[in-house]
Amino acid sequence: MNKKKTMQDKMNFQYFLLIIPGMVIFTIGVILPLLLAFRYSITSWDGMSVEKEFVGISNYINLWKDANFRQAWWFTIKFTIANTIVQNVFALLFAVALDSGIKAQKIYRTILFIPCLVSAVIVGFVWLKLYSNVLPELNEIFGTNINFLLFGDGKTVLSGLVIANNWQWIGYWMLIYLAGLQSVPSDLYEAAKVDGANAVQRFFSVTIPMLAPAITICVVGITTGSLKVYDLLVSSTGGGPGRASTSVIQMIYSTAISGRQYGYGSAMSVTLVFILLLVAMVQVKGLKSKEVQS
Amino acid sequence: MKKKLLSAILCSAMAAGMLTGCGGGADDGGAAQTPAAEPAAEEEAPAEDAAAEEAPAAAEGEEVTLTVLAGQSTTDAGIEDMIDAALAEKYPNITLEWECTGWDGEFHPKMQQYMQSGLPDIIIGKAQDVNTYASQGLLGEIDATYLDRGLDAARENVTFDGKTYGLVYNALYQGVYYNKAMFAENGWSVPTTQEELQAIVDDCNAKGIVPFASHMVDTWSIGNVTMQFMMNDVFNNTPDWGDKFRAGEVTFADDKAAQTAYSYNKLIFDNTYPETFSTEQTDCDARMVLGEAAMKVSGSWSIQNFLDIDENFDFGIFPFPNQTGDSKLIFEPNIAIMTSAETAHQDAVNCVLDVLSGDKELAVEILDFTKTASMLKDVVPTFPNPSQADIDEYASKGMIVDVTLGNNQLVWGGFQEENAADIAAYLQGDISFEECLAASDARVGSSSAQ
Repeated sequence: MNKKKTMQDKMNFQYFLLIIPGMVIFTIGVILPLLLAFRYSITSWDGMSVEKEFVGISNYINLWKDANFRQAWWFTIKFTIANTIVQNVFALLFAVALDSGIKAQKIYRTILFIPCLVSAVIVGFVWLKLYSNVLPELNEIFGTNINFLLFGDGKTVLSGLVIANNWQWIGYWMLIYLAGLQSVPSDLYEAAKVDGANAVQRFFSVTIPMLAPAITICVVGITTGSLKVYDLLVSSTGGGPGRASTSVIQMIYSTAISGRQYGYGSAMSVTLVFILLLVAMVQVKGLKSKEVQS
Repeated sequence: MKKKLLSAILCSAMAAGMLTGCGGGADDGGAAQTPAAEPAAEEEAPAEDAAAEEAPAAAEGEEVTLTVLAGQSTTDAGIEDMIDAALAEKYPNITLEWECTGWDGEFHPKMQQYMQSGLPDIIIGKAQDVNTYASQGLLGEIDATYLDRGLDAARENVTFDGKTYGLVYNALYQGVYYNKAMFAENGWSVPTTQEELQAIVDDCNAKGIVPFASHMVDTWSIGNVTMQFMMNDVFNNTPDWGDKFRAGEVTFADDKAAQTAYSYNKLIFDNTYPETFSTEQTDCDARMVLGEAAMKVSGSWSIQNFLDIDENFDFGIFPFPNQTGDSKLIFEPNIAIMTSAETAHQDAVNCVLDVLSGDKELAVEILDFTKTASMLKDVVPTFPNPSQADIDEYASKGMIVDVTLGNNQLVWGGFQEENAADIAAYLQGDISFEECLAASDARVGSSSAQ
């Protein structure tokens, strides 16, 4: 018994040694900045001066009164919900289509995947030009009157950004679903067929449950990625028109850096981190339970 | 046993890799800077000619690499190569390591980053930055040798507590660019009052001409024109309006002049392309050149585009008329060269200042490229500027005002920039005019750099 315990201790010690490098990097790269951000968030530091006056939780109280911050959150939430639904649905549909044995599957897969290799900044520029210059030309050519100026109006800017963002990322999440689909044992489908299940029933009763781990990854990835959107906005709408497409991250940046309100910006970022953690935890917990059931 | 040995080796390798990675970088950085710094400061080179006699001590010293952070306007990208070439000719031992960023976006974040780790030897920004960073004790005083080569008018707004921390290199003019041919065809004369401007706008609309070209997708352009309006309607009458604003003596919600300045944006918005919030500057300038609009409230940065699109485009400039009919043309010192207060290479930095302020060929090359006006004595750009006659006329009448007065009192980052977003939101119908004014008032704490 003693010997067994000693072996276990030795194993634990080895595991500990192995995680030290990762822990050090994680601590320096994530934990320390997080602690520093919290420290700054209770000061009125401007990011430049030596003095960092302690202001308690007043920055957090002011956040609740800040209409621009609330608007940034509202935009970010809408953007996140739209992306999570559209990207998951289309990525899954494309994956199912590609997994069905259609011809030239690799070509389609490559075409769908390529946009995610492009920087989001470039994607923003491309879609700005598309909406402003290229697509309106189609109206000229075909004599139509479709409103392509999606970035130019606060009412349509969200739709324009969701289209651009999904164009970029659907291919990436599709690959994850495709990998999940290809790992589903074919005998499950055969058994379902024998039981008389049609294609739709097989999809919902076999494919979806077996894809639960992939769904967890995609939903959490898309949600947290959308909550952190920044680069796409910078090169396309700049957060406008007005403040119609200002995301939380963008507001943190403009407040803390351009606006020289580092303390207040830090309070915003601490809030964002907690919400990100909360959302990810709820999603993982909820979706993992589905995986157990499957 | 083998597994244990393997895991121990793996751990050691990772830890060693990390340590060498971190330490190595620091050592390299130090090695790259320190040895070069000291000899450069110590060695003094003999002069070759009259100009070189006044040259700083590092003229022929050991190899020195100076770091430069350049916050550039869109027109400035590319001048770094010209400066490198001129420097290599006169001071081949000095190399500039450039980090070029957009002034509007990344410059100030970069400065804040460098404030933690040490400023670059040379900082190129705008005149209004001097006030921001000199007040923090970050900038070095510029030697009179180089300042004396610049125009006296350039010094006032880069001087803080009696010391001058910036060498102003060139200047932009801001106002309403107008299509001269279109004005002549329609019998319009340059307006000096709001009524005269409105008459032109009405005539444009009656004839199906777009009165103003604008690109409101760029929030900075809204901020820029708003400061133009503020200069003539607010600061023209109350030069210390920004200070009074902070003292609580005036507010946007109460001050009619400030409200009028904001409301001019609505005049532009109501009389421009419906797709202004989807139009970028290049497209906007192109439409102006192609005769699709009569006027554009802008600055010298548009000239580069105008002439690139059509070198024969004939345009003039006039100040946006204010309520009292005494508007002045806006003048903005643009490229301002600043130096770090703690540079270890002051002599080499002075060599660069020597080239920038003393090499007239370089100055003309830069001014012709950026299509801007000179702030150096006896340096005149040679590019054809159809609006120069107008500028000269306003200058001769003393109808020119330095926008740094307003920019120093109401800073760009955190105030003008944010107000511009609110104005855009107002134009989009997302908030009311009163909410827009209230938002500017609520931002009073961010209105000053100090």
